[in-house]
Amino acid sequence: MKEQADQVYDLVILGGGPAGLTAAVYAGRAARSTLVLTGPLPGGQVATTQMVENFPGFPEGISGMELAQRMQAQAGHFGARMVVEPVTGVDLTHAPFTVQTHCDTYRSRTVIIATGAVPRRLGVPGEARFFGRGVSTCATCDGFFYKGKRVVVVGGGDSALDEGLFLTRFAREVVVVHRRDQLRAARVYQERAFANPKMRFVWDSVVEEILGEQTVSGVRVRNVKTGEAAVIEANGVFVYVGMTPGSRLFAGQVELDEQGYVVTDRRQHTSRPGIFAAGDVQSPDFRQVVVAAASGAMAALEADRFLADEVDR
Amino acid sequence: MALLSQEIAEHVEQELADLAGPVRMVVFTQEVECEFCAETRQLVEEIAQLSDKLTAEVYDFVADKEKAEELGVDKIPAIAIIGQEDYRVRFYGIPSGYEFASLLHAIRTVAAGKPELSEETLKALAEMTVPVHMQVFVTPTCPYCPTSVVLAHQMAIASPLVRADMVEAMEFPQLAIKYQVMGVPRTVINETTYIEGAAPEHTVLEKLQEALKQA
Repeated sequence: MKEQADQVYDLVILGGGPAGLTAAVYAGRAARSTLVLTGPLPGGQVATTQMVENFPGFPEGISGMELAQRMQAQAGHFGARMVVEPVTGVDLTHAPFTVQTHCDTYRSRTVIIATGAVPRRLGVPGEARFFGRGVSTCATCDGFFYKGKRVVVVGGGDSALDEGLFLTRFAREVVVVHRRDQLRAARVYQERAFANPKMRFVWDSVVEEILGEQTVSGVRVRNVKTGEAAVIEANGVFVYVGMTPGSRLFAGQVELDEQGYVVTDRRQHTSRPGIFAAGDVQSPDFRQVVVAAASGAMAALEADRFLADEVDR
Repeated sequence: MALLSQEIAEHVEQELADLAGPVRMVVFTQEVECEFCAETRQLVEEIAQLSDKLTAEVYDFVADKEKAEELGVDKIPAIAIIGQEDYRVRFYGIPSGYEFASLLHAIRTVAAGKPELSEETLKALAEMTVPVHMQVFVTPTCPYCPTSVVLAHQMAIASPLVRADMVEAMEFPQLAIKYQVMGVPRTVINETTYIEGAAPEHTVLEKLQEALKQA
């Protein structure tokens, strides 16, 4: 659908994860004309989570995809328009703000940045070359291709262990390579991982290179304490070394911190009036669905207040 | 036992409530049905009950060889989604898990016969002169995969020269090996060009044009 040239939305929300969709629910209920640009993965990171066990109101747990779809349905119910397109450029320097996708340009009186975070890459030789051919960041997507094989999981947080445990359904052995001598992951994951006979741990080690000819044959690791190098033979490498904020497009237009997170105050205002941020793009501290949803609600309430104060008058 | 729970059936019924035109879901299975063949057939039959614009047709891949050839079906289980015309939209393997969304999307778009693509893409597709075959490899547990499947199917609907298949990698391991699928989604264009991951529309278009240069 081609955009009307004169259409100016009250609110454009960048990102269709829990933060963006919750903001859309609130904005819709406030009768603000709202557009959500969801990007390529509607629902955001939570849609890739097998089971969400800590979102209040779902005592049996709920699949991440279903939770995302329910949030989308709720946002749609209150009138938000949703477009599955990634944002390619923004001009947040003056109102009405403009947001470009590959196909269209949208204008809006306020913007909520809720673009989330994407998995960080290792940045070692071989990683880019073998991406999709032995290197992956999605165990649920690609686990099947490693049936009966050995895989390496890099990282020591919740994602590394959760996805590593998932991989034990297929793989012969899952070798977790972690840079420290203890895990960061929640106790419940640690207990499950240590109890699983297919999981093995290589401590104090970093991956320095992903090896292979046509496909991956292993990784070269270095022990950070002894400096010793070793090769672990494996057919697949799953990388879970944290996240990096999806804020590249906003650099120079709103304030970012050294790590690239959008800086906000307690009420989700960015450094520029009329621009708000919510969810993982503005905070690496919690990375929880319920926290993202809450910050999305705050951003939308503040955007509504901003519109009432600055625009409606 | 029904595959679709009462709750899901109601949801699907709503999704398909305003189909723009009639859609035939043509399923290929065989006399002694493979596990997924039986489930695929049952899934299609159950969905057909949920809209009066939908019909299910079941064929035997061996006995109805001519029909299979007519629709270009070369493996089973297979579903051809056909609207006012055959837009060459195919599913090989059961569209379950995340791919169920791709199936519903295909039904809706085929019913309308209007692809949701940018003008730039539509123009480029209209200028094409060589046939294109897009095979999108998926697993049912891949949340990124429907984006690629839907895009390929849209391109098939847009251009009579494009045919687009979802291929469920777990059910066709020999094809997964042939095309070196170790991660999904992986799109194979005309056997020569590959796309890793859920690429946006303009990237897919670029890859398609790249594949045509190699033809």
